[in-house]
Amino acid sequence: MTIKSIVMMGLFMLGLVIAMVPENTTKPYKLTAEDMLVEVQGAAEMVTSDEVAHWLVSKDPSLQLIDVRTPDEFQKYHLEGAINIPISVILKDENRDYVDQGIKMNVLYSNGTIGSHQAWMILRQLGFENNYVMQGGLNYWFDTIMNPQKPSSTSPDEEFAKYDFRKAASGVFGGGGGAALTAPTQTKADKPKIKRKKKKKAPAGGC
Amino acid sequence: MGPLIPQEIIGQDWNLFIAFIVGIGFGFILEQAGFSSSRKLAGVFYGYDTVVLKVFFGAAVTAMLGLLFFSLFGWIDLSLVYVNPTFLGSAIVGGIVMGIGFIAGGFCPGVSFSAIAIGKIDAMVFLGGIFIGIFMFAEAYPLLESFYMSGNLGALKLSDVLGISGGFLAFLVIIAALGMFWLGDLAEKKFPREEY
Amino acid sequence: MMNTKYMNPYLAGVLLGLVLLMAFFFSGRGLGASGAVKSTVVTVVSTIAPEHAANSPFYSKYIGEGKSPMKSWLVFEIMGVLVGGFLSGALAGRLKLKIEHFPGISANRRLIFAMIGGILFGFGSQLGRGCASGSALTGMAVLSLSGFISMATMFGTAFALAYFFRKNWI
Repeated sequence: MTIKSIVMMGLFMLGLVIAMVPENTTKPYKLTAEDMLVEVQGAAEMVTSDEVAHWLVSKDPSLQLIDVRTPDEFQKYHLEGAINIPISVILKDENRDYVDQGIKMNVLYSNGTIGSHQAWMILRQLGFENNYVMQGGLNYWFDTIMNPQKPSSTSPDEEFAKYDFRKAASGVFGGGGGAALTAPTQTKADKPKIKRKKKKKAPAGGC
Repeated sequence: MGPLIPQEIIGQDWNLFIAFIVGIGFGFILEQAGFSSSRKLAGVFYGYDTVVLKVFFGAAVTAMLGLLFFSLFGWIDLSLVYVNPTFLGSAIVGGIVMGIGFIAGGFCPGVSFSAIAIGKIDAMVFLGGIFIGIFMFAEAYPLLESFYMSGNLGALKLSDVLGISGGFLAFLVIIAALGMFWLGDLAEKKFPREEY
Repeated sequence: MMNTKYMNPYLAGVLLGLVLLMAFFFSGRGLGASGAVKSTVVTVVSTIAPEHAANSPFYSKYIGEGKSPMKSWLVFEIMGVLVGGFLSGALAGRLKLKIEHFPGISANRRLIFAMIGGILFGFGSQLGRGCASGSALTGMAVLSLSGFISMATMFGTAFALAYFFRKNWI
């Protein structure tokens, strides 16, 4: 067989194959199952409602709350400054820039922890950084921040500090009244670091 | 997953080195195929030597297939590969002007370099012409600017315009290329001449 | 198929396509040539007449703080083309300084047309934002509309006008 016929047949057959195969629009998973296991066991993605309250109260500009519930639920009630990206559309291109970025600290929340954590798992497997999950979701938020329980008199001081903070915070968010706000000593010393995302350079070329 | 440098899997500093290596491959193959001879190149327009057709389309469809298959296997992220944008007016007029230059000079810029490398003086003169032509464009730019920037359709792909998939378009181009290869060989039989 | 001292064109086409593919895979971009010449023109003009270059909407895009137009992908690629072409010519014994032309015309006539062709190509490549390797070949490989337009107009025009230039070639 001459080179010419090999090339021509080869091109023809490969052309047939590529014409029939659907275009690859899947976004590949970047993290292996092992990596994911390590990450979920470390639970570094969890943030507490106290921390979120603190960031909201101090108007931390790097915070971005993302409500992953349905638009109806979002309408009925959502946290201040939250945007609504229902989990059903979280992979859509128009939302890509919210969930795949390196500037803000996204805190996903839902009614409990399951919904937001599901969303987190998917985003994390795609290799996106800077997404966190608010532990306990809105249910816990209401229980602790909006209607904090006064600790019993035998509780340690830090419980009282937490209680004071929560009462004050709930005042800010529309719950019962409260006095001056001081950050509870309880919050994590370090805010989660925002991983600077390596900006994918736009392709360059041309003559 | 490629492309490697835009995603910083290899450092940016390698880019120029890779350009150099790619160039060596480019120049070597062109010269090996005979593109260093303007008479061979012009042959495609008269039927006596269709090497231009075979190599040009062969390369285009090979790379086309390569990109699509790489994307299929997840080896390359096509959204990071540069697609040259379409500026309708200037693309058409530019193509026409270059077409005249091609049949008059018998070279195109990339090919002329491989010819210069083996000592073809006509190619060197051609290159001199390119300098002048670019200089003329640069000086006339203020007048041409609005035309140059008109008709910006963005980085449009032909497959999008035709509403077909990239793979299907590649298949169509391959069929066209195969047809041209066949015609090319037919023409060469009809218009024999000695080798340049 | 005639006996030839050149590489089989089908093989050459596939190999060239693979080289182009590697360029995409490593650098995310394809080949080109006119851009390298443009960089040289910009460098020359900005060295000889820096103020004119700075004021011109064309040149000023490529010069400026820390920008060296010669340190571009295309310039390095073209340097490689020269080396590669030379190597191939040396291996095949084709290194020879000469003016190649159809015997039916004079060498001078060939040179005149080469110059005219170059001027047209230089001008056209800037207008068309690329030449045969940059716009047409690379463009087609990525399915760009502009690539197909360039290819069609370039080859179409050349074919259409071939009759008028036939004396130069056959």
